[in-house]
Amino acid sequence: MTAPRVTAGFAQEIAAVVEQLRHITVQVRTRRAATGAGILWNPGEPEGSGLVITNAHVVQGNQATIELGDGSVARARVVARDPKRDLAALELELEPARAMAPTGVRDSPPLRAGELVIAIGHPGGFVGAATLGIVHADEGARDGRTARWVRADVRLAPGFSGGPLADAAGRLVGVNTMIQGSLALAVPAATVAAWVRRSRALVAS
Amino acid sequence: MSTVLQSLSTELADAVESAGRAVVAIHARRRIPASGVHWRPGVVVATHHTINRDDNITVTLPDGTTAPATLAGRDPGTDLAVLKLAAENLPAATLRPDTPPTVGELVIALGRPGPSVTASWGVVSRVDGPWRTWHGAEIDSLLRLDVAIYDGFSGGPLIDAAGRVLGINTSALARGVPVTIPVATVERVVTELLERGSIRRAYLGIGTQPVRVPASLARKVELKSDVALLIVSLESGGPADRDGLLLGDVLLELDGAAVSDPTDVLAQLGGDRVGRPIAARVIRGGQVKTLQVTPGERPTSRAA
Repeated sequence: MTAPRVTAGFAQEIAAVVEQLRHITVQVRTRRAATGAGILWNPGEPEGSGLVITNAHVVQGNQATIELGDGSVARARVVARDPKRDLAALELELEPARAMAPTGVRDSPPLRAGELVIAIGHPGGFVGAATLGIVHADEGARDGRTARWVRADVRLAPGFSGGPLADAAGRLVGVNTMIQGSLALAVPAATVAAWVRRSRALVAS
Repeated sequence: MSTVLQSLSTELADAVESAGRAVVAIHARRRIPASGVHWRPGVVVATHHTINRDDNITVTLPDGTTAPATLAGRDPGTDLAVLKLAAENLPAATLRPDTPPTVGELVIALGRPGPSVTASWGVVSRVDGPWRTWHGAEIDSLLRLDVAIYDGFSGGPLIDAAGRVLGINTSALARGVPVTIPVATVERVVTELLERGSIRRAYLGIGTQPVRVPASLARKVELKSDVALLIVSLESGGPADRDGLLLGDVLLELDGAAVSDPTDVLAQLGGDRVGRPIAARVIRGGQVKTLQVTPGERPTSRAA
């Protein structure tokens, strides 16, 4: 029997994308809440770089401890919070400030039902776990408004909250936020980007 | 650059998109709609258990428009229902009738519980031979899935990675576990429902339970199997009652074939048995008797 080339290539590529995503996935720890996940937000535009994005429900207070993918630990404070969208942005207090890996964000095209997606999180304290699934429904805007959620058929557990949902190229498409039965709901990356831009403007002024 | 991963992703989305063009939403119950498949031009297949009314049924097409549909017939046995629809320009599903799915094959379940198509993926977890549903209908092969089920999943198609339909999914035939009714069974039921409006099935009007026959008695009456069926209920005025079977009779054989499980009885009761007498060999009061029983046609309103 010949070696299954497609499957082997598939496995290698999945591993590579997961590795790449682990670089932008952090652990968010607060005194009260269990560990959640977060995303290093460095999309290559001046405003809103060097932040950690997570769910508002992951950081209850104004402070958190962030553990990066390489094991280094830093304190961070909440600079913006939106309980309605369930988003929070934290600023890292890194000394000295370090260069961060860029965060590839998918602006377009909208997700199609059936596309592969990968989620990274820390279920049960297991750091950097990955799950693979597909997009449950087309992301297309309805009535000119961006859909509230990216819906994915991917098995999540508590501990994935605030972590990245990415496409087959490893580009961020959402922030994993809720589990509804076996359906994962993520805040769309475009919503996050727009919110960060607005919040930054508020903080700066 | 990840090429396999992105190609697979695109191909899966293409499969969902092309197969989704023949998946419709069916409004025939309260709360959320269920799914259906445009199986042949003008013919939509759905599941019986998600159609709670016979009239006033509407269908949402993939382009978002709504069209009225009429119920051509339903079969509680296989949980299938057939609707007729006047929709031009709606493509019919591409079927895969010849190559059966295999265990481990990558599959996608589609639904349309609203305007947009929904997808969940997984693998075929079990493939087996013909089986009978708890209503006695024969399904050509058993297809179990390792796929998450969502609201409105029933009536949607199971498709392969190329977007071809392998069958119709339902959650009502195995206690909430997803099961796919294969293309061959759907074809058979659709044809008969379009012709007759119902599936003809013979019935005797008995309820049975397997019992062990004492060894001495089994030897005396030369039994083929030491398990037979005790008649524990008898429909008053039904075929078996009318032709003289009694509660407490132990049914040994039907037309010479040993029966040791209720499904063995169902196996003898295809649509062609209606009105044709069948020889029932029973033990009554320690004696073996043979009675002629003429099966009737199973009323459609009865579930079992």
